[in-house]
Amino acid sequence: MIKLAIYGKGGIGKSTCTANLSAALASLGKRVIQIGCDPKADSTINLLRGDPVLPVMDYMRQYDEEPESIEQISKVGYGGVLCIETGGPTPGLGCAGRGIITTFSLLEQLDLFGRYKPDAVLYDVLGDVVCGGFAAPIREGYAEQVLIVTSGEKMALYAANNIWQAVKNFEDRSYAKVRGVILNRRNVEREEEKVRAFTDKAGIEITADIPRSDDIIRYEDMGMTCVEGDPRCEAAGRFLALAKTLIDEDERNG
Amino acid sequence: MKNAARIIPCYSADTSGVCSALYELGGLTVVHDASGCNSTYSTHDEPRWYDMRSNIFISALTEMDAIMGNDEKLIADTVSAAKDRKPAFIALCGSPMPMMTGVDFDAVAAEVEARSGIRTFGLHTNGTRSYIEGASEALAAVVREYAEPCGKVRGRVNVLGLTPLDLPLGADKHIREWLASHGFECGCTLAMGDSLESIKKLPSAEVNLLVSEAGRGAAEYLKKEYGIPCICGVPFGNGFADELAERLRSAANGSKPVALSTAEAGQAEVIVIGEGISAMSLAEALRRDLGLNAGAINTQPSEGAASGDVLSCEEDIEAALLELRPKAVVADPLYRYILPAGTRLIEVPHFAFSGRCFQRAMVNLINTDIKEYFK
Repeated sequence: MIKLAIYGKGGIGKSTCTANLSAALASLGKRVIQIGCDPKADSTINLLRGDPVLPVMDYMRQYDEEPESIEQISKVGYGGVLCIETGGPTPGLGCAGRGIITTFSLLEQLDLFGRYKPDAVLYDVLGDVVCGGFAAPIREGYAEQVLIVTSGEKMALYAANNIWQAVKNFEDRSYAKVRGVILNRRNVEREEEKVRAFTDKAGIEITADIPRSDDIIRYEDMGMTCVEGDPRCEAAGRFLALAKTLIDEDERNG
Repeated sequence: MKNAARIIPCYSADTSGVCSALYELGGLTVVHDASGCNSTYSTHDEPRWYDMRSNIFISALTEMDAIMGNDEKLIADTVSAAKDRKPAFIALCGSPMPMMTGVDFDAVAAEVEARSGIRTFGLHTNGTRSYIEGASEALAAVVREYAEPCGKVRGRVNVLGLTPLDLPLGADKHIREWLASHGFECGCTLAMGDSLESIKKLPSAEVNLLVSEAGRGAAEYLKKEYGIPCICGVPFGNGFADELAERLRSAANGSKPVALSTAEAGQAEVIVIGEGISAMSLAEALRRDLGLNAGAINTQPSEGAASGDVLSCEEDIEAALLELRPKAVVADPLYRYILPAGTRLIEVPHFAFSGRCFQRAMVNLINTDIKEYFK
C-alpha cells in the first residue's frame, strides 16, 4: 500500500499537490483515501467539486458524540477517492494537534483501512511538524514516506529544511522517512538550483517537478483538480507521472 | 455532563488498572505523570502497597517537559531506574497530560528497550478510561510477551483477571482451593499470587476461567493463539461455584462453552452492582443459595463484556434503581447515597470504587456459605 504524508510551508500548495496526486492515483485505477490533517479542512475540496465533507472535529462538536460509521465523516470524490478531513477546534481555542490524534484513533476504531482496503492513503498535513499531533501521520502504522512540497522561495525552503530535520529527529523510531520533495514552481530565479542545493544537502531527491500553471488555478476555481479537468495538460501529466512512479515502486516492493 | 459523578465517586482509572495488574510480576511500571501521583495509583488503589514491594515509578513530568516534548528525560530516567532495579520487563503508560501532548508510548518503549536491553512495552492509558481497560491491556501485553507454546496438562485451569481492584486479597488462594476440591489443577493465577514463570506456561491449560473483565484481552489472545476456551465467572457461594466447576469441566472436555446465564436487573428484587463478571456471579450465587430473584448491573462497560445490564454513569444507575425499586441492592457502601428510599443496602466493598475506605470490611464470598452474610 502507498502510505504518504505531504508536508510543507503554509500556502505552498500542499493540498493542491495532494488532491492532484490522489486524483492521478485514482485515475490509474487505485483505491485512494485522502485525509486532510489541517483545522482549515480544505484539503479535499477540489476532489469534491467544492462541496466539502463534514470534518471529524466538526461532527463531534455538532453532535457531541463520536461518529459511528465512516460514512458520517467521509465523502466520495473524483475517481472514488474517499475524502476525510480531521478539522479542528474553534480557531484560537483548544488543541489542533490533539484533534489529529483523536481523529486517527477514531478512524482506527472504525476500522477504516480494514473496511475500505485502500491501495493508497495520503495525509495532507498542516504546515510544519509543530507538535506531537502533527507528527501523528508519520508514526508507525500510518505514513511510511514523506514528501515535502516546496518552491525555490527562501521561506518555503526554510520550512522544508525544518520538516526534514524534524522527521530526521525520529530516525530511532519506526517513523516515516522523507522520500523527497515536490518542487511546486513559483518561477523564482534559479529555482531548481536553490531547491537542488537543499535536496543535495539532505540527501533526498526531487520526486516531482510541477510547473507554475494557469490550468491548476482555473480548475481549482471550478472545484476540481487539473487531473480531473484536463488530464492532458502539462501539470496533470506531472502528477500522473508521479503517481505512476509511486505505483511501480509499491508493486516492486510487493 | 452525562458522565459526571456528583454524589458517588468514580471508579479507578486505566492507569491504576495497569499498576494493579502488573504489581506482582517483577517488572518496572513507569507512569508518565506529575510527581506525587503515585499515591493515587499505588496507595489509594493498592492494598498490597505496604506489605509487598513493587517497582512502580512516576516520571515526574513537569510543565516544561510536556511543552517541550522532552521524551528524552522519560527514556533516560527509565533506563537509569532499570539499571538499578534490574526488572524482568518495563511497562510504560500514560496519564491525561501525555495524552494531550500525544506522547507515542510505543516509540518511546522501543527506544527504552534498545538502550536498556530489557523487554519494554507501551500501554495506552490516559487516565480517563476504566481500570478494567488498563488492566486488560497490561495483562494481554504480558501474556503476548511471555506465553510460550507447550504441551497441554490434563485438567489444568488458568485464572485470568485477578486483581485486588475487583476481588479481595486472598482470592487467588480461595480459587486455587476451590479448583483443587473439584479435581482441577490450577495453572496461572493472572495476576495475583503468581509469577512470570507461570505466565510462560499459560498455554498448557485446557480452559481459562475469566474472573473479571480485566482478563478479557489475555483470554482472547489465548483463545486465538492457542485455542483455549474461556468460561466467565467467580465461584461465589456454593451452588453457583459447583455449577461453574461443571462448566469448566465440560469446556475442558471439548464442549462449546455456554455463555453465563444473563442475570439482568429486569424484575429482580435484589440487584448486585459492580464489575460485570463479579456482579453477575454474585447474583447467580444469590439465586442458587438463597433462592432470591437477583439481577446485576455492570458498571464497567468494555468490549466483549459479559452480558447483563450495563450502566456506567451515576445518573443512569440512579434512574434505573428508581424505576426498578428493588428490595435490596448489593454494592459498595458508597452506593448508599443514590439508593431509592426504602431500598436496603447490603454492603460488599469494592476496592476499585472506594479504595481503602472499607478495606477491613472486605469479606471472602468465594466457595463459601454466603447465606449468613446475606440473610
